[in-house]
Amino acid sequence: MARAWFERREQVSTGVLRRARGLVLWMGRRPALIFLWPITLYFYVVSRDARRGLARFYERLSGTKPSSARLVRHFYVFAQTILDRVYLLAQHPDAPRCEIRGFEQVTECLRRGQGCVLLGAHIGSFEAARAAALSRPELRMQVIMHTEISRNLDAALGPSDRPDAAVALGSPLGLLRIKELLDKGGLVGMMGDRVLAAETTRSVSFLGAHAEFPVRPFRLAAALQAPVFFFAALYKAAGDGSRYYEVVFEELGPAAPSGRERSFWVQDLGERYTAALQNYCRIAPDNWFNFYDFWDASASRPGPLSRPDNPPGARPRASLDPTFLTTDPPAHDKL
Amino acid sequence: MTKQQTAFEYEIAQLLVSSLNLALDPSAIDPEAPLFREGLGLDSIDMLEIALAMSQHYGIQLRSDDPENATIFASLRSLSTAVAARRA
Repeated sequence: MARAWFERREQVSTGVLRRARGLVLWMGRRPALIFLWPITLYFYVVSRDARRGLARFYERLSGTKPSSARLVRHFYVFAQTILDRVYLLAQHPDAPRCEIRGFEQVTECLRRGQGCVLLGAHIGSFEAARAAALSRPELRMQVIMHTEISRNLDAALGPSDRPDAAVALGSPLGLLRIKELLDKGGLVGMMGDRVLAAETTRSVSFLGAHAEFPVRPFRLAAALQAPVFFFAALYKAAGDGSRYYEVVFEELGPAAPSGRERSFWVQDLGERYTAALQNYCRIAPDNWFNFYDFWDASASRPGPLSRPDNPPGARPRASLDPTFLTTDPPAHDKL
Repeated sequence: MTKQQTAFEYEIAQLLVSSLNLALDPSAIDPEAPLFREGLGLDSIDMLEIALAMSQHYGIQLRSDDPENATIFASLRSLSTAVAARRA
């Protein structure tokens, strides 16, 4: 979730983040929110590309240029969701409450012993939903991530012994484990809106213009042969001004058929996913956390951390399985 | 030059081509070439599909905690050998 900032700012070290985590847990959420303002303003000022990318989103959404105040508030909402990850992961009393909506259909599948695939997006806080699962076992999910991208941040913001470590999308044995988990009636979550370099994409109409969406999450959902749901944890304000997370679930389709209909199913799923995402963008525009021009295929997207052993533009390193070290080659397009 | 496939390797190759929807002649798969990356260029999702197709067709379980996984999925030949051994 925090990729847009932290991954571009490789100088933010794990050590600094761990100290910041200790500090905000110690001071509590209210004082931390005050300190968050100058930090937000700093990032707002220095992140020119993020400002522009976000302005493009509002233009697509409403047809008009957003005011600077609106953009700053948007940055502040994002900053709050990162802060909340700390409280939620620590199960701290200051952690905002989470309300769950639309989970009945998921429960129905689980009752039959059928696991479900949850497709998320960079809208709201995927991490808040993950963190909420620490205290609500019914929400517990195994997360599949593109690579090791967020793991440094994960390690820094959460307790060091997280029980819900992510599986890498590029890890074949990891995916086999995921399938076994689904067959046992588990929940599996992944993102469906972020394209990495050298990845097969599909152009889909999104908020009135074509945008590139990745193909792999949808191919994987088909291969896993389980019912698929859209999900997001939206950061909202209640009537009394207090903030909470609303974790929403929406059914996208039953398990994929096998054989020739498969590719139509994948395409269909992609369209329903985009429609759901579009809908939640309208409901909670300030929860959109793709801070780059989403409609420009050449826009620089947040990639893996730039480290000497992982230079910019390099293929993401992808395996959590030491026995099966492999990275994903560009997938042959099957759509 | 492509090495010769055995009859069973050809059967497995046909299954790979049909279950992965590859635009490829099954007999053209080099049995000793790597299935992933530089070889056939398959990815992790394809491997999952292969494991599921093998269990559907031959009733064998290829499990994530199998210590031999790294060798089983190395090539068409190693996959065929493993399937034949487990089916028996």
